[in-house]
Amino acid sequence: MLIDIKDLYKIYNEGKESEVRALDGVSLQIDRGEFVSIIGQSGSGKSTLMNILGCLDIPTYGDYHLDGTDVTELSDRQLAHIRNKQIGFIFQGYNLIPALSARENVELPLIYQNIGVDKRHERSEEALERVSMFDRAGHKPSEMSGGQQQRVAIARAIATHPNIIMADEPTGALDSKTGRHVLEILHSLHDDGTTIILITHDNGIAATAERIVRISDGKIIADGTREEVGL
Amino acid sequence: MNISQAVKMAAKSISSNKARSFLTMLGIIIGLAAVIILVSYAEGQTLAMKAYYESMGTNVLEVSANNWMSSEDTGKMLYDYCLGLEGVEGITPNGYVYNDMTISYGAKTLSRNRNYGGGMVMIGGGGMSMSYGGGSDDHYPQVRLGNDKYGLCNDYKIAKGREFSYLEIQNMSQVCILGSDTAEYLFSFADPIDKTITINGLPFRVVGVYQSKAAGINLGNSEDSYWLSESIKRNDKLLLLPSTMTRFFNNNESIDEYIVKVVDSDSITKVVTDLNGFLSNIINTNYGYYNVYNPSEYQGDQEEANQLQQRFLGGIAAISLLVGGIGIMNIMLVTVTERTREIGIRKAIGAERRSIITQFLIEAAMICGIGGLLGIAVGYIGTMVVTKLSFGLVMMPGSAITVGAFAISVALGIIFGLYPAIKASALQPVEALRAD
Repeated sequence: MLIDIKDLYKIYNEGKESEVRALDGVSLQIDRGEFVSIIGQSGSGKSTLMNILGCLDIPTYGDYHLDGTDVTELSDRQLAHIRNKQIGFIFQGYNLIPALSARENVELPLIYQNIGVDKRHERSEEALERVSMFDRAGHKPSEMSGGQQQRVAIARAIATHPNIIMADEPTGALDSKTGRHVLEILHSLHDDGTTIILITHDNGIAATAERIVRISDGKIIADGTREEVGL
Repeated sequence: MNISQAVKMAAKSISSNKARSFLTMLGIIIGLAAVIILVSYAEGQTLAMKAYYESMGTNVLEVSANNWMSSEDTGKMLYDYCLGLEGVEGITPNGYVYNDMTISYGAKTLSRNRNYGGGMVMIGGGGMSMSYGGGSDDHYPQVRLGNDKYGLCNDYKIAKGREFSYLEIQNMSQVCILGSDTAEYLFSFADPIDKTITINGLPFRVVGVYQSKAAGINLGNSEDSYWLSESIKRNDKLLLLPSTMTRFFNNNESIDEYIVKVVDSDSITKVVTDLNGFLSNIINTNYGYYNVYNPSEYQGDQEEANQLQQRFLGGIAAISLLVGGIGIMNIMLVTVTERTREIGIRKAIGAERRSIITQFLIEAAMICGIGGLLGIAVGYIGTMVVTKLSFGLVMMPGSAITVGAFAISVALGIIFGLYPAIKASALQPVEALRAD
């Protein structure tokens, strides 16, 4: 079991009138090598779930074991290591650093791993090749289209060879053709054995996954294949 | 992340945000430059005053005494009294020769014709050149009458030869001592000792030459400092004759001015009291006068005024530094707030808190360091410009104030650059990512 969460809660303003339960007792297990779509309406809690799964946020209550490690017990520094080595993130807004070129953005997580410059170049080239962006390596984000920026973001996510890719609405800001291309890349990564967790509100995109988890009001209301969740 | 990576990252970030980096530096540049220029100005003024007073001699009293009705020689009595007075190192008459003289050696002649208002110098026997009102050719010396203690009392040091001897004073010997400028004018590179010059046709043997007082004193070239440097330079234009020569050159008029050298500054008050007591006994102020003047008292007042000015300028400089510091603080706060999202991205892809703080620390230190160096450069150039513009006496800034102001502005930059970075790096990555 790669990911194992039990009775996970994320509660904002707990005990106050304005209390919000973004996650309300969620339990979920994901095996190594799965391709899981998490689907839900805006505000359903799917992004909160991904943030906690990706160690970008901490739950209010509940257990989270990642590859056998109790993540809720880890220090800030240990969490940074997990984010750096085990997980690759793809965000809806790309989240590239504007001052850095495509290659420098891709190499950033490798720098935090203290990987030497030659090895770093090799890995960033490989990652940029994979998303067909090698010819734009020297360009800054502002000199690229949305689709190109997202591909650079994917290259950054895969440069560290993580076990898990977490993609939060990766096609949300892209036109359908570019979106399809991004999806194809995710599937090819999955074919290589990477676990993919894809967050989306788009049924069509979610349907390409082998397993679909539907979330609503902070609770999982369906979990299964396309047919089982009724897509 | 290692340090060289952090340095590269910081340099990258600075160069990709040139306008912002420059604005941050500007605060430091203005603050530092203002401090350096103002403090240099104040220090220059203090030093110039100090140099002026030191050239006049330290621990000296100027005594004037005259008794019109008495047949007794007041000067002689005063001289004898001082010789036995505790705390007094020496006393010399400080007499003037009122009539114009012609001083010559070989083909060189120094003379003054007051009909021309300023000074006229005759160079060579035949050729005549005129200059008015203290022109650069005016080497005509002040002619003084003194004794064997003249150098001691006036802070002159013998460069060549010796002081007068007691006997030379007693015997009204035709000997003289020259100031450095006078000796150089008359003798050029030749050794003046034991050479004979003529004064109004009478032969006088040169027994000594004093060291220059102006040498080694740099007051800058501003207008305010002009009179100070001229007064100091005038000390080197000197022809000293035995005090007894007053009989010959001043129609036997007695000398009524004396310079008293006191052993140390602590004894000055006592000596002033003693002298006043003595003079009040021998001089009836209805028929004469006496005065004991302590220049260091005036110097004290001057120093106080200078200190006041220094504090005032220092205050303005401190305000400039403060305003610069607020500028730095402001832009650093804005910068990091604006980069909270970047911090979030870096954390999301695995940056440890320490790496982020290191990066921002190096970035702030680099911006402030470069700004600081530029500020020092601008301050030094500004000081030179102010000197040229003759706003006042300007010296080169002291290293202590430069280093101090540099340290303060760099510290401000680092503190205010680091504080928001520490705050932002403590956020959960998701919170930092939400920032816009």
